[in-house]
Amino acid sequence: MRTTAPPLAHSPGRRAPSRRQVLSYALAGLGAAAATSACSPSAPTGPRDFTFWSFTGIGQKADVERYMSANPGVTIKLTEVGSSQETAQALTTAIAGGKVPDLALVQAADLPKFALSPDNFVDYRRLGGDDVGAPYLDWVIAQATTRGGQVIGIPTDVGGLAVAYRKDLFAAAGLPTDRDEVSALWPDWPSFIETGRRYTEATGNAFVDNAATSVFYQALGQVSEQFYDADGGYAYTNPQVRQAFDWSLDALAAGISARVDSFGSAWNAGIGRGAFAVTCSPSWMLGTIKSQAPDLEGQWDLATIPNGIGNWGGSYLAIPAAAERKEAAWEYVRSVQSPASQLQHFVDAGSLPTTPENYSEPELADFTDPYFSNAPTGAIFTKAVLDITPFPVGRYTAEIGTELQNAIKAVELSAADPAQAWAKGVRNVEIVVGDL
Amino acid sequence: MSATLTPQAGRATRGTTATKPVESRWERLAPYGYVAPFYLLFAVFGLFPLVFTFVVALFDWNPIGDRTFVGLDNFVRLGEDPRFWNALRNTFSIWILSTVPQLVIALVLAQVLNKARLRFASFWRMSMLVPYITSVAATTIVFAQLFDRDYGLLNFFIGLLGFEHVDFKNTVLGSHVLIAVMVTWRWFGYTTLLYLASLQAVPRDLYEAASVDGAGEVKQFFNITLPSLRPVIIFTVITSTIGGLQIFTEPLLLQPTSGTTCGAERQCQTLSLFQFEQGFGVFNFGYGSAIGVALFAIIVVVALINYLLSSRVGRRA
Repeated sequence: MRTTAPPLAHSPGRRAPSRRQVLSYALAGLGAAAATSACSPSAPTGPRDFTFWSFTGIGQKADVERYMSANPGVTIKLTEVGSSQETAQALTTAIAGGKVPDLALVQAADLPKFALSPDNFVDYRRLGGDDVGAPYLDWVIAQATTRGGQVIGIPTDVGGLAVAYRKDLFAAAGLPTDRDEVSALWPDWPSFIETGRRYTEATGNAFVDNAATSVFYQALGQVSEQFYDADGGYAYTNPQVRQAFDWSLDALAAGISARVDSFGSAWNAGIGRGAFAVTCSPSWMLGTIKSQAPDLEGQWDLATIPNGIGNWGGSYLAIPAAAERKEAAWEYVRSVQSPASQLQHFVDAGSLPTTPENYSEPELADFTDPYFSNAPTGAIFTKAVLDITPFPVGRYTAEIGTELQNAIKAVELSAADPAQAWAKGVRNVEIVVGDL
Repeated sequence: MSATLTPQAGRATRGTTATKPVESRWERLAPYGYVAPFYLLFAVFGLFPLVFTFVVALFDWNPIGDRTFVGLDNFVRLGEDPRFWNALRNTFSIWILSTVPQLVIALVLAQVLNKARLRFASFWRMSMLVPYITSVAATTIVFAQLFDRDYGLLNFFIGLLGFEHVDFKNTVLGSHVLIAVMVTWRWFGYTTLLYLASLQAVPRDLYEAASVDGAGEVKQFFNITLPSLRPVIIFTVITSTIGGLQIFTEPLLLQPTSGTTCGAERQCQTLSLFQFEQGFGVFNFGYGSAIGVALFAIIVVVALINYLLSSRVGRRA
């Protein structure tokens, strides 16, 4: 080196890049490459190719493969991000960062947050016309319609409700086992709790898996007004919500709950061990019951849910506004979520269609499930979703539901005082929706 | 950086003598080059996010919507938020319950493993690390099963003894103890080996001399072992504090059914879990960042207090 060095050595000289500089550039380049390739969809090549983010274990892969074999030359890059929550988180981060997939699956519970900023998504009316939502259940499409009328999601499935019950345990308790007679036992929640009391008195065992999910959460889905009113104001203390809350406290007071949290390890084990005789089961839960208790085939059966209607879950396909291949994604959505395709999906994977026009088709209406004593699952679940009243949802719908449900769980699992539960739940909701 | 070329400077580098070889720029700069990668990566992935967190904490920041400057509102709200104080209490409780036993167990074990006449010493020393190299997720799932209310092995034995089953997951103390057990299980081996390495450096003559003078095991422990371990004890106390106040994975996986609250009443929600819930559950980036800043400040303060306290350990003559 000819030039003289300044006494300070903390910055590179201006003449030639030092080894450190070369190294740092290389590293910075590496870092940048890693950062951009880590979780950004790579640009698809062909005009009809696109990228798609979905959850694991939801069966979108089968749809994608069928579409690709029907359309040779089209490549769909499907990424199963993780759970529905993880997918929503990744999508949020992607939208914030500007590198988005062309199509994403969003769980119903996560949709209100995205609907707050509808400009982040393509309005399906611009792709499929004003009646793009017409084939779908009105209350389902209502949840994907923003206050301004944009339709940001096309529903893939819903989770109609029923009560799964153990015939052998019912017989031992002196209760009827025929599904119509069982359904007649509980036209509403008080009679459901009364039936549980009879069962528990006769056997000494718990009747229902838990009150927080099987009673409160289900009754909460049957209201005509939930946490928000039509103007977007809060309504979470309305009488219908309070009623659902009180029913679940009644169930706990009656001592009919096995006090096991839904989806926990004890719950999974309890299905096979007869820890409870009934659980409120949406259509997508049948697979869980089968896999947890394969040897109980023919012992489980399905009755209608108290009040007769109810839905839990379901998902939507949304196209981010920044997507490069909107048309290709729309072409896929239109083809895969058509009423005929949804019916096919039910036959293949058991996911319940959102398109009422094919509810009377024999493939669905006459479908029976041998595991559940040949119950007509299609007919039972579609009946539960037909007459649901759409209620307004908002940014904190999911969180408010969780806080109120946690107030029940606190009584159920942690022996909190039931007399204080409602006040405590409401206070926690107030903290959550505080002026953020 | 501009270097003005002065005649003297030019002469200084060219003026060489036989006894004093020239120190070229390369050699003076090389060490900086070698440490640069860490600092560069730290600047990109550590320092920048840290500073940016302080900025985001001043906003009501919806990652996919509006962001408005709210000044210190997030911090004011944090002070009034019972969920924050609950998470703070839980964090400290779990930290104390896990750190103290872990360090005590490690001290005793290191002393035992340091015995010259221990057979299969290498085997015992290596097996200490098995819990540490097991994945946290696997450990948590196994422990959660062991401690389950209805079907857990532990409650099976408690039931055999004729006692009521203990619900570890849904009580405050129970869940804290359970998480502390997992943390201790994971880290005690690592800490033991650190202590052992330090003990190996203590001259054996000291112990022998003490034995000759009639000092028993306990006396030797307090008068030789502890003082020699002082620096490494300070080190482990500070590192386990930083780790312990950031506990995240165990409470998250302990209660998979309650998402990010670790129980219906947030019995074991730690500060990092609360931060995650607000940031990526509710997408309140501003509020989540404010929690992060608070956690940062708490860790700095506690680590400092720790340093002052632990530097007194073993000072007794």
